[in-house]
Amino acid sequence: MASNIVELTKVSKRYDNVQALFEVDFSIAPGEVRALLGKNGAGKSTLIKLLSGVELPDEGKIFINGKPIHKPSIQTSKEFGVRTVYQELSLIPGMSVMENLFIGSWPTSFGVIDYKQMRTECSSALAELGLQIDPDAILGDLSIADQQLIEIARALSENPAVLILDEPTSSLGAAEVDRVLNAVLAIKLRGVAVIYVSHRLSEIRKIADSVTVMRNGSVVESKEMSKIANHEVVKAMLGDVDMMERERIGRSGESSSVLNVSGVSFSPKLVDINLTVREGEVLGLSGLLGAGRSELLQIMAGIASPDHGEVSLKGQSITGRGLTYTKRVGIGITPEDRKRDGIFPDLGIDENIAISDWKKSAKLGIIRSRLLTRFTTQIVSAMSVKTESNRTLASKLSGGNQQKVVIGRWLFAESQILLLDEPTRGVDIEAKAQIYELLRGLARSGKSVVFVSSEIEELELVCDRVVTISDGRIVAEHFSPEFTTNDLLLAALGASEKLEAE
Amino acid sequence: MKSKGTSNGSSTKSKLRLSPQRLNEIGLAVALLLIIVFLSLRSPFFASFANMWAILGDAALIGIVAWPETLIIIAGDIDLSIGPAVAFWSVILAELMAKFHFNLGIAIILTLFGGWTVGCFAGWLRGRFGVPSFIVTLGLWSSFRGAAQFMTNSLPVSINQSGLMNFLSGKIGPIPTPAVLMFVLFFIFAFIARRTTFGRTVYAVGGNPRAAMLAGINVIKIRVLIFGLSGLLSAFLGLVIAARLSSGTSSAAQGLEFTVITAVVVGGTSLSGGRGTLLGTLLGTLFIAVIGNGLIILGVNSYFQDVLTGFLIVGAVLINTIVSRRRE
Repeated sequence: MASNIVELTKVSKRYDNVQALFEVDFSIAPGEVRALLGKNGAGKSTLIKLLSGVELPDEGKIFINGKPIHKPSIQTSKEFGVRTVYQELSLIPGMSVMENLFIGSWPTSFGVIDYKQMRTECSSALAELGLQIDPDAILGDLSIADQQLIEIARALSENPAVLILDEPTSSLGAAEVDRVLNAVLAIKLRGVAVIYVSHRLSEIRKIADSVTVMRNGSVVESKEMSKIANHEVVKAMLGDVDMMERERIGRSGESSSVLNVSGVSFSPKLVDINLTVREGEVLGLSGLLGAGRSELLQIMAGIASPDHGEVSLKGQSITGRGLTYTKRVGIGITPEDRKRDGIFPDLGIDENIAISDWKKSAKLGIIRSRLLTRFTTQIVSAMSVKTESNRTLASKLSGGNQQKVVIGRWLFAESQILLLDEPTRGVDIEAKAQIYELLRGLARSGKSVVFVSSEIEELELVCDRVVTISDGRIVAEHFSPEFTTNDLLLAALGASEKLEAE
Repeated sequence: MKSKGTSNGSSTKSKLRLSPQRLNEIGLAVALLLIIVFLSLRSPFFASFANMWAILGDAALIGIVAWPETLIIIAGDIDLSIGPAVAFWSVILAELMAKFHFNLGIAIILTLFGGWTVGCFAGWLRGRFGVPSFIVTLGLWSSFRGAAQFMTNSLPVSINQSGLMNFLSGKIGPIPTPAVLMFVLFFIFAFIARRTTFGRTVYAVGGNPRAAMLAGINVIKIRVLIFGLSGLLSAFLGLVIAARLSSGTSSAAQGLEFTVITAVVVGGTSLSGGRGTLLGTLLGTLFIAVIGNGLIILGVNSYFQDVLTGFLIVGAVLINTIVSRRRE
């Protein structure tokens, strides 16, 4: 296959005592969209690093456009036509869209930046991806989806032969995902080979021609997309691990209500929200990104004050009382952005957990290490956090384990109501299954869980009840087991169509 | 096997791997020893006990305020007001007795209380309104020195001899009292940083303030307290210096804030917050005191001493940075 634009043969790479890649063969043709799947640690990131020239393989050969790569150089790899868009955005929020798009190679005339030309080029580059974004808009004011698309447009503006997209949709809601997918299709038509890393099977189905599944550093499956079924892909990713049970949850009677939201408005995100959280249930909050779910969660936790309305816990108003107070009465919240807002990277797992309620492991403000170890070990094992010691720094944990620590913090504080904002984002399938199981366990033990997720398909796996928010209003309520992912998706999208019709 | 975490075979490697902070402390201790050996060989006077105690006495004037500064820097903030604060409170102590005829005990209590209150106020401005601590304490830096000079017309205000003041400027056995106080306070602060919920929360706030807020921590309270402690110990050092000079002096402790910040940073505490140890700061303080003393003994020109000190400090932090980057 001389036409392949990327050709890897028997590539291996070791870090210390971890075999990150072992005799991997990989190739992709122009205009092909290849989905790359695998759990965290399966070797996807290493493969991307090798392709983008960050590192050299220990063994094996890499050819790009028929030219071999000899030295680790991002520059060389770029010259050969490889562009990578990483999960973390690498744009400058304070600059305009067009300045970001051409960063480092701004068009100039007589040594002065030519904004007019830049504006024209920017508009045409964005139009090519089907985007209508003002070139003069400040990047930081755009939605995350738009920023992601600008990032892709930037990579594309340099006419790459191969474009690597590392989980471009992990932080996006369903409607935004489609915009990215459309952009990818436009890129494909230009004859660019696209390597598309994602955990979301549904979107891969829509755009990928072929799929490569990795596990433990090896390629375990490489097929045309039409010749492999979803459950085969999942099986290849997980290996022999049990697949998650698609158990249906029975409707959990009418238990007493614990948290009441009445008439809450929060401009411009929420309008007249009424909501009740019941004892022993997992309540799902569905909706698109930016629909106001995170804001509602923060109001329920007492962090943000609504413009109107009230939040009450068992009849007692807690509106805007602040987390220091609501923590005491039994509310815990985990943030959407775990890395930025959740963990303390330089503290151990034990202290990351115990910080929500020091009193339990301290006397007169002095920490008793025996108590600290005893209580936090309970949490670490209850949450099945994978670690050698519970003193390990939180920064050394994988995303899934960090998430378990952040949730465990509130178990430690014995919170009765857990407000979880996107707890499964960026977490591998195995850890996801564990988190689902954990949420069910919490509900069984009488606690209430409010579960926000952009991956609508997971709501039906865990929730007793799902409330859908769209454009700041509650538009639907579904009870398990009487709904499917499709119903939820329709609810989330339906309302926005109605609004447009008005 | 002592520790549980390293009991299985695969982790023999990680047992040998030291954290960058530990490595920096060991490196600093070794550097300190080498400098001491070198200076001892060059000058027999340097190695004398009398000189060693004198070095510790000098170190105390840095260390006493370097301990709270370490907490502040770990919390991701900075206190620039230390030098002027020390001078101001020494003046206040003297004025309380000279102008208002308070007795020494009450004057000391009022001074310490004043230091604590102004510190807490600075911390409150930082925590409640989010004014950068650099700016808040820069303002204090200017106002403290100005107020001290304004009140005294830049002249020393003398303080009468008394048992307590003689004790503060005297010695316990062969050791200068300030050095003893420095070590006592060191152990207290090291304990606070490592073993108390307050200390660990300071690390959490410095490492990730938003996460701290979302864990239900009262971040404002923590910030008020650390600046309060810094103010309290600045006032305390003001007493020690007043005792040493037998007067309240508005020009005392010139540039002390930078020496203190240097000691903290040389000791491996990250200016971006979240990381650092009191032991590191102790070593950094001794490092600076030994260099200062050694350069004088070697008879280096006093202006040129500053040049050398600058190079040594940047060199120390440079090595620390390179080593810790390798380790990551």
